[in-house]
Amino acid sequence: MSSKKLNGNVPEGPIQEIWDKHRFNMKLVNPSNKRKFKVIVVGTGLAGASASATLAELGYNVDAFCIQDSPRRAHSIAAQGGINAAKNYPNDGDSVWRLFYDTVKGGDFRAREANVYRLAQVSNNIIDQCTAQGVPFARDYGGTLSNRSFGGAQVSRTFYARGQTGQQLLLGAYSALMKESHKGKVKIYTRREMVELVMVDGKARGIIVRNVITGELEKYKADAVLLCTGGYGNAYFLSTNAMASNGSAAWKAYKKGAYFANPCYTQIHPTCIPVHGENQSKLTLMSESLRNDGRVWVPKAKGDKRSPKDIPEDERDYYLERIYPSFGNLVPRDVASRNAKNQVDDGKGVGATGVAVYLDFKDAIERDGLETIKAKYGNLFDMYESITDENPYVVPMRIYPAVHYTMGGLWVDYNLMSNVPGLFVLGEANFSDHGANRLGASALMQGLADGYFVIPYTLGNYLATEKPEETPVDLDSPEFNEAYHSAQERFQKLLSIGGNRSVDSFHKELGQIMWEHVGMAREEEGLKAGIEKIQKLRDEFWKNLRVTGTEVGVNIELEKANRVADFLELGELMARDALERRESCGGHFRMESQTEENEAKRDDQNFAHVAAWEFQGVDNTPIRHTEELTFENVTLTQRSYK
Amino acid sequence: MSSLCKRLSSSVVKKQLMAITGLLLCGFLVSHLIGNCLIYLGAEAFNSYAHALITNPLIYIAEAGLLAIFLTHIGLAIRLTIENKKARPVSYYMKTPTGRGATFASATMPYTGMTILVFLVFHILHFKFGPVYTASYNGVEMRDLYKLLIEYFQNPFAVAWYVIAMLALGLHVSHGFASAFQSIGFNHPKYNCALKCLSKLYAVVITLGFAALPIYCFLQGGN
Amino acid sequence: MSHDNNLMTLNLKIWRQKNQDDKGQMVDYKLSGVSKDMSFLEMLDLLNEQLVNESKEPVAFDHDCREGICGMCSLMINGQAHGPRKNTTTCQLHMREYKDGDTIVIEPFRARALPVHKDLIIDRSAFDEIIEAGGFVNVATGNAQDANSILIPKLDSDLAMDAASCIGCAACVASCNNASAMLFVSAKISQLALLPQGKVEAEKRALSMVDKMDELGFGNCTNEAECEASCPKGINISNIARMNLEYLKAAVASKID
Ligand SMILES: Cc1cc2nc3c(=O)[nH]c(=O)nc-3n(C[C@H](O)[C@H](O)[C@H](O)COP(=O)(O)OP(=O)(O)OC[C@H]3O[C@@H](n4cnc5c(N)ncnc54)[C@H](O)[C@@H]3O)c2cc1C
Ligand code: HEM
Ligand code: HEM
Ligand code: SF4
Ligand code: F3S
Ligand code: FES
Repeated sequence: MSSKKLNGNVPEGPIQEIWDKHRFNMKLVNPSNKRKFKVIVVGTGLAGASASATLAELGYNVDAFCIQDSPRRAHSIAAQGGINAAKNYPNDGDSVWRLFYDTVKGGDFRAREANVYRLAQVSNNIIDQCTAQGVPFARDYGGTLSNRSFGGAQVSRTFYARGQTGQQLLLGAYSALMKESHKGKVKIYTRREMVELVMVDGKARGIIVRNVITGELEKYKADAVLLCTGGYGNAYFLSTNAMASNGSAAWKAYKKGAYFANPCYTQIHPTCIPVHGENQSKLTLMSESLRNDGRVWVPKAKGDKRSPKDIPEDERDYYLERIYPSFGNLVPRDVASRNAKNQVDDGKGVGATGVAVYLDFKDAIERDGLETIKAKYGNLFDMYESITDENPYVVPMRIYPAVHYTMGGLWVDYNLMSNVPGLFVLGEANFSDHGANRLGASALMQGLADGYFVIPYTLGNYLATEKPEETPVDLDSPEFNEAYHSAQERFQKLLSIGGNRSVDSFHKELGQIMWEHVGMAREEEGLKAGIEKIQKLRDEFWKNLRVTGTEVGVNIELEKANRVADFLELGELMARDALERRESCGGHFRMESQTEENEAKRDDQNFAHVAAWEFQGVDNTPIRHTEELTFENVTLTQRSYK
Repeated sequence: MSSLCKRLSSSVVKKQLMAITGLLLCGFLVSHLIGNCLIYLGAEAFNSYAHALITNPLIYIAEAGLLAIFLTHIGLAIRLTIENKKARPVSYYMKTPTGRGATFASATMPYTGMTILVFLVFHILHFKFGPVYTASYNGVEMRDLYKLLIEYFQNPFAVAWYVIAMLALGLHVSHGFASAFQSIGFNHPKYNCALKCLSKLYAVVITLGFAALPIYCFLQGGN
Repeated sequence: MSHDNNLMTLNLKIWRQKNQDDKGQMVDYKLSGVSKDMSFLEMLDLLNEQLVNESKEPVAFDHDCREGICGMCSLMINGQAHGPRKNTTTCQLHMREYKDGDTIVIEPFRARALPVHKDLIIDRSAFDEIIEAGGFVNVATGNAQDANSILIPKLDSDLAMDAASCIGCAACVASCNNASAMLFVSAKISQLALLPQGKVEAEKRALSMVDKMDELGFGNCTNEAECEASCPKGINISNIARMNLEYLKAAVASKID
């Protein structure tokens, strides 16, 4: 098989009209027929919960699955900063067009224009919908909604609920989900982990899940399957993702033929609490909003171990303000992260480990007063103090970049359907809207846009066109049994290796390889070495893993082993994709491709495309398909934040 | 209406009935204390007051009401306590109060309540259904409760028991009084502090006020 | 790495229980190499790594975000829900709270309505059932008016946000002597009762959520405020008062059955 050119199925027409026209052109499912369809939604984060609720409202029968003990706990809950929308309430020049433009540019021109435009269009409806559900967004004294500027945006378009925006949005979507569960339209299956996708006649028709409590495998069938399973940042072991975040569901789909797009696009967030020790299990994000008032600096001298208060002003290098005078501390995430790494590589890192930079609020406190800063960031400062035992009101915070978000994901067309008919992918699990770099406060927007406002239309179109109900499937069909047995064998295999190393030790080692070779700066040699190391580690995993316990009942080691086994394959694909993309763009920085000033240099001639990988067997090289990206509405420019 | 009846057994309404009966009892305590304080004015004043009360035809209604209030309060207390124990069938190996929430008074409500119940049974047996002495003032014959009291409280153990029971009562109402407002649904940052203080003040007045009576009677006996 | 030179050795007493039917018991472990910088759950990770290396079954416990927001972690630590610190979840608790040689007792949250699945993992589906009974605003996607057409006084909105920050961890139930779920339920009822969007269904919501809570076998509140004291999000018991009033109004005055 050879590489194909993929078609994103974007309808023709002026970008402002595509979605409206498409909505009209798509087929509808008659209301009385909707109840004949069953839809499986895997994941109950923002994308999954909003999709499940909305589809159920329309009349479809929905089976929703999640790993946690309640849908309310999906990883989306952790988002702090906010959600963007083009409401232009502050009257500061925002518009759908500007949000669209900023998002395409922020993504370093590696996203599909039409998708992004649609995202900007429905962004306003999201705010309305969430408010109606009772999401307590921050308000001004007059009772109207309050906005802030976030992640380097030049306009204030971010809506927020204290430092808990993701939580409040998810609880809103969760409440909508429970409302439909109350009506019996959604059946919620908690503590279930999807372990296989079932395909019948080339279409996605079901899943196999493992009941984490009983250990049993269960079969579920449907007319379409929606994967809303989030990102795969935990391939790096240490990340800001929740512990259960995983790439497995998407990986199972990939192995069944769905294309995996741009796996190398990972976002490394600049403001995280630095690693402190060997036994650390995850990294904690400090909201990006901190950069609105904090100033980033390192000592001018290398290896300066003085305490920060002893370093006089003229011996400090406020490097972001120096290098980027117009954006200063508010440069996009990838730029901020890379610069922090440069400083540390240069020997100017601070703190005991020397792997951190300062984020200093001294000036802000002097300017606005302690109370103002407390009111704005109190909870974040408390969190910082509880983790590090240092008082950030007095001592500058130490921060360092950490893996945070994965822009890559399963390839989907304009309708959010993967190349596998009937398999739709929503939220962080797909690759669609953020290109090579996601702007702050845009992931929540995308998850909810997909779930509340896109999938209800496009799924209907699929069901009306394909009429899957005319070909009923049977849980005892060979397809289901085969998937069931392959899952069963896998778990038995994991249990029977009987080696000497724990799952975590493998995961940590994989993480180190990923961070070193597929991290903030990548180069050919390093990536090749990384791939080899991952392959070796994977071999060892299957020979020397030790999983205690049995298949029956709760087995936390077995759960982790299953996910790490997939990360060991996914990690290789990430490296491979990074290797093939011989340009720098957004979060993907190739040392070989930089400007004179050491900024990322895109290669639009050769890489203005999406890379979508097709599985060919674990030990074979996958095929790299491409989807050309054309930009008719924005001009391709080299990003500059000087 | 049927739905209201159904909801009488909901956790919230049960609690609210506790609160309302509890507050009514708090009111009763005040009037009972004032009445009893007539002891300080001597036998005639006290006995005449008691006589006036007992002979008032409305007393039956009042007593029935009081009985109903007590029974409701006690009945619900027992029911809630049992339900609450059942709600945690396996108890903790170790349970440490945070020190930021529960107080000694709040944690011992069922026990102080029980103490009051035991007190009440004997109290009523002794005074209401106890020996009947008579006295006569201005030709009116009446029960000499004064004598009964003085006599009864010559026993130092009786005095001690009363004082202990009043401490239990004080603890009970020190939490109960403020708590009742929370149960009914009143919790306002402006008044919470005042309410808590009032509750404690009330408890102190009730405890000292009632405890003083047996002691006074004991001392009277010496004369 | 910074303070790794003063590693601690701890005596752990941990509840082990195979499954819901097992009786379960406390088991003693000795764990060394614990650094002050570790979080409490990282300390348990370390124990589990040690157990796996000894081919023993690791201790099962719930966790996910490890930053105090998902509500997945739990644990009674030395008899206190989420440990000794105010406004702190177990995952945010750090080992610098403890000294070398300390004994730490670790048990699951206990209540009839929250049975133990295994070791320290409990079943909190009762909370979902309560929310399902009415913890939502009935507004289908697409039905919403412009967000700014609903004006909400900042104070109300802030109070609603206070209540809405509940993470559904069940520490309130665990720490309440009566295993009452009032704080959790009242937080949701309050949030929606304070907002105009929620007022439309306020009566029905109060009735059905409280009735569900009772049905599930939680205890009754005796206004002890241990829940507030151990709530990692500092949810205030004034929410319980608000719920009581909402319920009373609804039970007496509403036309709903
Ligand atoms: C710390 C942090 C802060 C953030 N802050 C912001 C912000 O301020 N603004 C912003 O826009 N974005 C933010 N993001 C990004 C954003 O939160 C996520 O991208 C987004 O919430 C993802 O939502 P989701 O619905 O796609 O997936 P998730 O919320 O990750 O949900 C995944 C769901 O899938 C389920 N699942 C996963 N695998 C399986 C499986 N195998 N079987 C069954 N179920 C499965 C899980 O149980 C879960 O229910 C932040 C991210 C992090 C980590
Ligand atoms: C004159 C006597 C009494 C008074 C004034 C009184 C008053 C109160 C008050 C005001 C409350 C608070 C209600 C609330 O929090 O909503 C209360 C609670 C309680 N009372 Fe009493 N009470 C009296 C007698 C008793 C008796 C005899 C018993 C026991 C058998 C009892 C058992 C309880 C219990 C267990 C509670 C706690 C119940 C709860 O808070 O849910 N009380 N009481
Ligand atoms: C320590 C001080 C007290 C004294 C001296 C005292 C005295 C008396 C006397 C003399 C009577 C008899 C009245 C009659 O038969 O008509 C009486 C009745 C009663 N007392 Fe007390 N009492 C005291 C405390 C209390 C307390 C603390 C309570 C409640 C908890 C209480 C509850 C009652 C009740 C319920 C009756 C019966 C009332 C009736 O039937 O009308 N008493 N008391
Ligand atoms: S009220 Fe507090 S303790 Fe109770 S579930 Fe919510 S966050 Fe947890
Ligand atoms: S601790 Fe329990 S008694 Fe009530 S106030 Fe809290 S629920
Ligand atoms: S693990 Fe999420 S709150 Fe503790």
